[in-house]
Amino acid sequence: MRDLVKMVVVLTVICAASGFVLSYVNEATKAPREYQLLKYVREPSIKAVLPNYTNDPIKDRITITLGKNDKGEPIEKTIFPAKDNGKLVAIAYASDATGYHGPIDVMIGINLDGKLTGISIMTHTETPGLGARVVEPVFTKQFSGLTLSGELNVTAQGGKINAVSGATISSKGVVAAVRNALEVFPQIKKEVS
Amino acid sequence: MSVAKVFTRGLWQEIPPFRLVLGLCPTLAVTTAAKNGLGMGLATTFVLVCSNVIVSLLRKAIPGKVRIAAFIVVIASFVVIVELVMQAYFYPLYKILGIFIPLIVVNCIILGRAEAFASKNTIVPSAADGLGMGLGFTLSLTFLGGVREIFGNGTFFGHAIMGEAFQPFSILLKAPGAFICLGVILGVMNLISAKK
Amino acid sequence: MSDYLLLIVSAVFVNNILLVRYLGNCPFLGVSNRMDTATGMAMAVVFVIVMASSITWAVQYYILNPFGLEYLQTIAFILVIAALVQLVEMFLQKSVPALYRSLGIFLPLITTNCAVLGVAVLVIQGEYGFVDMLLFSFASSVGYGLALILLTGIRERLAVAAIPVHFRGTSLGLMTAGLIALGFLGFVGMVH
Repeated sequence: MRDLVKMVVVLTVICAASGFVLSYVNEATKAPREYQLLKYVREPSIKAVLPNYTNDPIKDRITITLGKNDKGEPIEKTIFPAKDNGKLVAIAYASDATGYHGPIDVMIGINLDGKLTGISIMTHTETPGLGARVVEPVFTKQFSGLTLSGELNVTAQGGKINAVSGATISSKGVVAAVRNALEVFPQIKKEVS
Repeated sequence: MSVAKVFTRGLWQEIPPFRLVLGLCPTLAVTTAAKNGLGMGLATTFVLVCSNVIVSLLRKAIPGKVRIAAFIVVIASFVVIVELVMQAYFYPLYKILGIFIPLIVVNCIILGRAEAFASKNTIVPSAADGLGMGLGFTLSLTFLGGVREIFGNGTFFGHAIMGEAFQPFSILLKAPGAFICLGVILGVMNLISAKK
Repeated sequence: MSDYLLLIVSAVFVNNILLVRYLGNCPFLGVSNRMDTATGMAMAVVFVIVMASSITWAVQYYILNPFGLEYLQTIAFILVIAALVQLVEMFLQKSVPALYRSLGIFLPLITTNCAVLGVAVLVIQGEYGFVDMLLFSFASSVGYGLALILLTGIRERLAVAAIPVHFRGTSLGLMTAGLIALGFLGFVGMVH
């Protein structure tokens, strides 16, 4: 009986000590880990949509709250600022909308006048060869320089964006994602400048 | 056995994995380049030394029946520490070593040394044993990684060292190359040891 | 249905956990000397991997994730595996002694077989649902058994062949495994 108690006590103490140490290390490394993850996953998209900058948009990232969703939870957005020698020139942030098969995640870059500096498709589940072709530069570079206006629509709806042939719904999905992003831009601009 | 002898044992006579045939999985998997072998070796050495020291410290307190479970908790804790630190400060290496970082916990070398040595010896020799075996392992991995990198890719630690006309044996970078390379090295080491 | 077939073929051949993913090599060379030990190990591996994957899958999705404890994955999984193997051993010893005897020493040895922890982690990385997880773990362990039996068959023949003294044993075993791995490399184009 005493042996059993001793076994249980020793194991419990070792596990508890281990738990303590590990949760400490976890907390201590949380910030650098988050940074590294963002850097390797997001940086390519961020670089692609922003004009030249001299800072580190990921290190300078800001998280802001944009009101609440249907469940009453706050909607958070992470903004990646691009600065030229300390002066804010543009920001990048993510948005999404439903495409043909599922949600399409888009990273948009926008300068302080509200003009798009570029977009980049991050994730999607569209059909390869058709809807998936929205990631191609020939489609995405059409967005550069546009603002939230009638021009930011597919040609069938009076806009300037040529949809990918055979993938109207996917193309419209990307347009919707970009429009969603631009709609909250005034609110974001206020918090960021 | 003196501490120095304990230390050097892991560097040649019982060098893992060439003479002490343990810890084969990471040996084959991560040695696609010398740098990766080095990184994995150092991570393993860290866990090995730390767990040997803790096991040796606690050796009188742990009841015999639960010793394997206790060793596993200790070793796994250090592996998690290595995982978190690598994620935070060495992310590219972390991505390359991938699944083999958590697999350090089942690296037979570590459990083997804890059971065979650290649980029966005091702290300093245990640390020396861990350091010797760990560095031996690191040397082996870096060596094998180097061989596979030089002949499979024409580079060494990322620097191109074979001439332009060299056609790399890219099979060395894949699974079959790993097995065959290790097999040949083992055979050659047997040859060298026998001649002595 | 074809998705499942794809998953199975991929796990057994194209991404064979032993010959392509490098998991489970230590015991591989130790037991591949005789056919009966090899088949014993293969059976034990299939058994343990499927059970371990199921339990660790549940632990990840019902305990670790909801409580934000993902960083404890390694330590939680290995504890589950060690405990599972211990429990299974005790259970088999009492209830199905014949099976216990035929699995023999391999059951406790499997705790440190990197294939078990490896498959458990791969399942989480692949974000499989319950059924996919069962298929993947079963197919992966069958692939392991297949590679093991192939290697054992060849090594039994080689044991009576004239091989230079220094290259016998482990060295030759590794080179043979390499040649079989070369064969398996041919499966790469199978799954598009």
